[in-house]
Amino acid sequence: MSDNLSADVVVIGSGVAGALVASELAAAGASVLMLEAGPRLERWRIVENFRNQADKDDFQRPYPAAKHAPHPEYAPDNDYLILKGPDAKSYASQYLRVVGGTTWHWAASAWRFLPNDFTMKSTYGVGRDWGIGYDELEPYYYRAEVELGVSGPNDGTDLGSPRRQPYPMDHLLLSYNDQRFYDVLNANGFKLVSEPVARNSRPYDQRPTCCGNNNCMPICPIAAMYSGIIHVDKAERAGTKLLTNAVVYRLEVDAQDRIVAAHYKDPDGNSHRVTGKYFVLAANALESVKILLMSATDKWKNGLANSSDQVGRNLMDHPGTGVTFLADEPLWPGRGPMEMTSIVDHRDGEFRREWASKKLHLNNQVQTRHATLKALSMGLTGKALDDEIRYRSAHTVNINSFHDILPEPDNRMRLSDQKDALGLPRPEITYQIGDYTKKSAVHTHEAYAKIAELFGCREIEFSDSFAPNNHLMGSVIMGADPRDSVVDGQCRAHDHANLYMATSGVMASAGSVNCTLTIAALSLRIADTLKQALGKAS
Amino acid sequence: MKFHPLIRRAGAFGLAAALYATVAHADADTDLVKRGEYLARAADCVACHTAPGGKPYAGGYGIESPLGTIYSTNITPSKQGGIGGYSEAQFDAALRHGIRADGAHLYPAMPYTSYAKLAPDDVSALYQYFMHGVEPVDGAAKATELPFPFSVRLAMAGWNLLFLDKAPFQPDPAKSEEWNRGAYLVEALEHCSSCHTPRNALMAESTSQAYAGGALGAWYAPNITSDPVSGLGDWSEAEVVQYLKTGRVVGKAQAAGPMAEAVEHSLQHLSDADLKAIAVYVKGLPEIRDARDQQPGHSFGKAHSDEATLRGVAGVSASNSAAGAELFSAVCASCHQPTGSGTRDQYYPSLSHNTTLGRGDARNLVAVILHGVVRRADGKDVFMPGFGADSLVNPLSDAQIADVANYTLQHYGNPELKVSAQDVALARQGGEPPLLAKLPGLLPWLVGAVVVIIGLIAWLIGRRRKG
Repeated sequence: MSDNLSADVVVIGSGVAGALVASELAAAGASVLMLEAGPRLERWRIVENFRNQADKDDFQRPYPAAKHAPHPEYAPDNDYLILKGPDAKSYASQYLRVVGGTTWHWAASAWRFLPNDFTMKSTYGVGRDWGIGYDELEPYYYRAEVELGVSGPNDGTDLGSPRRQPYPMDHLLLSYNDQRFYDVLNANGFKLVSEPVARNSRPYDQRPTCCGNNNCMPICPIAAMYSGIIHVDKAERAGTKLLTNAVVYRLEVDAQDRIVAAHYKDPDGNSHRVTGKYFVLAANALESVKILLMSATDKWKNGLANSSDQVGRNLMDHPGTGVTFLADEPLWPGRGPMEMTSIVDHRDGEFRREWASKKLHLNNQVQTRHATLKALSMGLTGKALDDEIRYRSAHTVNINSFHDILPEPDNRMRLSDQKDALGLPRPEITYQIGDYTKKSAVHTHEAYAKIAELFGCREIEFSDSFAPNNHLMGSVIMGADPRDSVVDGQCRAHDHANLYMATSGVMASAGSVNCTLTIAALSLRIADTLKQALGKAS
Repeated sequence: MKFHPLIRRAGAFGLAAALYATVAHADADTDLVKRGEYLARAADCVACHTAPGGKPYAGGYGIESPLGTIYSTNITPSKQGGIGGYSEAQFDAALRHGIRADGAHLYPAMPYTSYAKLAPDDVSALYQYFMHGVEPVDGAAKATELPFPFSVRLAMAGWNLLFLDKAPFQPDPAKSEEWNRGAYLVEALEHCSSCHTPRNALMAESTSQAYAGGALGAWYAPNITSDPVSGLGDWSEAEVVQYLKTGRVVGKAQAAGPMAEAVEHSLQHLSDADLKAIAVYVKGLPEIRDARDQQPGHSFGKAHSDEATLRGVAGVSASNSAAGAELFSAVCASCHQPTGSGTRDQYYPSLSHNTTLGRGDARNLVAVILHGVVRRADGKDVFMPGFGADSLVNPLSDAQIADVANYTLQHYGNPELKVSAQDVALARQGGEPPLLAKLPGLLPWLVGAVVVIIGLIAWLIGRRRKG
């Protein structure tokens, strides 16, 4: 039945990237077919799952992995990602294979990259150049901010990424916790800013203002925070046909190297084939690689789009370190969203020739759970227990960080010999964090100590081992030279004229900020390119 | 006491002069234009004559009527697309008698039966405003095309004969100046009865049930008579004023749907004196009790939470089906709180002591869940997302909405009320259609049958004469 489906554009993946492309193209009158490997979960069900789960910090838990389309689960570990190398644990990433994708449980930080992030090689002599510059992307950054609904500091705060228009919404008032940090840190030589977020500070796009449930991760219960599901709904209402539980396992290529069909398995393992004029691979940085590698033919022995042998290589993330301490004043984290401010004084500069740029951010997650676990472990009971929980909830400070990492070909994903329930190979990842990042982390550790001192700290605990931050970049890397990159500046595969990649995998540098707004901007640009190609541009 | 007719008349005239002179010194045109602007706000012309995102008064707003969509016209002073070519007499005929400059009849979606009560001076002020105070916009608005037989606008002539009272408002000298001002505002300008008075089979206001509540698509415009159970009898005047100005009274009610629009576009802009006058008049409307009502709508419910029994029992699941308690927790409690009591500042209102859940009718509860609340009043945005098919938060099914509505009614509202999935489906389609709308398929046949019968009688008579 669905074997006969055909469309102008076949989009593989229904996260923010695929959904934006589908929604734009369908609204312009193109026929669009969107394939999603996972099931559809309603928001209310996810909210209830979160409320019913015991470990509130397990953000994957409210989204039970489908047997036919597993995604990483860590409590207990389902071993979906096979991790190898010296820093394997630092790539124990979280992502979701469900309709709407991983932005169901992001923090909604909607940063633009810095102009120099696009030209690391030519500016600082390390890493790579993207082949496109900030200026080309600036209009799309703004369109992405409008589409996602970004609120930010419209008070003249310079975040280093020049903008022509104000943020669509003013930022939310800072929580008391964030305001205290703002006042103390900025008075002591740090640069702490209110960060741009895809979160409503007023009613916007038929969605309400944030009311501070403080569980942005793993789910905003009221959709004040943007999630990819918003554009899935818009895409469908504009005429996109969405197939759920359709696990794409092969792209079919013709003699002219054009993609002619996508093959998918349903949960029972039956194969289906859909055809189209253009294909947009938007299945996240790892699953997209998996599809390209699984599509190998006699001619494309290393997989599709892989004449450069760069598919699956150059894996990046934002290796994170952290610190936790007790301040000498009550700060009461937990009012408002989980994250509101960032320290941005080392996002750019000549130091980037030697060590990684970074962004530090104050955690505004309510601390009662951690405070309670700690107080119980101290063996307290009765009023002493209550007092300890109250004290720790009010005084606990937690700061985390993102560090840049250079694209290294040896940090890579391959197809494992181990298979999932449908018989498809699991992703096998090899990962090592280099000195460029480690040097920076030493400096971050010192910054943490200084900040803790400003708040008269007690019980300081550093988390110096690098934590994953789920910003999966580099796997289908962009570049001007087809010999060492997978896609061109338009996110089009060098090897296949009608194959586009809407994923953070194309990003040629990691920078120091969350990658979703850049994914969204690149996706809107792909949509424009395809509108032109299909004669649907207005 | 009996007045001499002449004295009575003079008294009434004096009273009328005082009533209409809210904006003093109409000696300069600008004053008249300003007065017209205020009156246009009070009459809420902009609400219907402006399309969403369109230019003010340029028309094109689709009014969903049971008979089909009626599009408002361009009433800007553009000669090409609007009413720029209208003389004051033509303007008056349209406003008060529902007759356009070209002689065609307006549909009573335009509340000319209310505007018929406007004082001539106010009609002049409105005319001056629309000619000189409104930006002209060229281009006619989208035309209304109702299906036959409603497409025959001449039929409205007969309807007017039955239902249009052309007499302007007559003040009642036995009542206070304030009451009379309120009566004028309520009856003529604000045209409150258009929604709050139920309509008869021919879609005219049922005068015997004045202000006893009427259906309005998926919404229900409640009883605003002075009855203490069904109406506003136990509301204070100050509460009525606060409601009209801000769209809500904590512990009683909040405006949503068409009433939120009336507050946003019109009522909040009225002077305090005018709002007080409206309250005085409304508080004096004759009591009409709905037999279904046993206690005031805002007196139902109390705090209740099922959280403690839910957690630990309901696990993590991939199933998209659940019962009312879980749906309530996920969909409502994040803002209205797990107890349904709202936030401390009541920005998110309590669900108990809330007329939306407490009346003898659950239509507004279903409409609010489907369409949400959008209201900008008092410089503040009030927004509740809807959960209908176009929701970007979480579209819910008919059964889910019925489940969550019944859960909230059981714990926070009138537990006697029950909502079925069919009720929700009906609300999605814009509510129960009136009798007239159910007839169109039948009407041509009825007309045909009458013609045939008349023809038959004539033929018989003719035969007899011959015979």
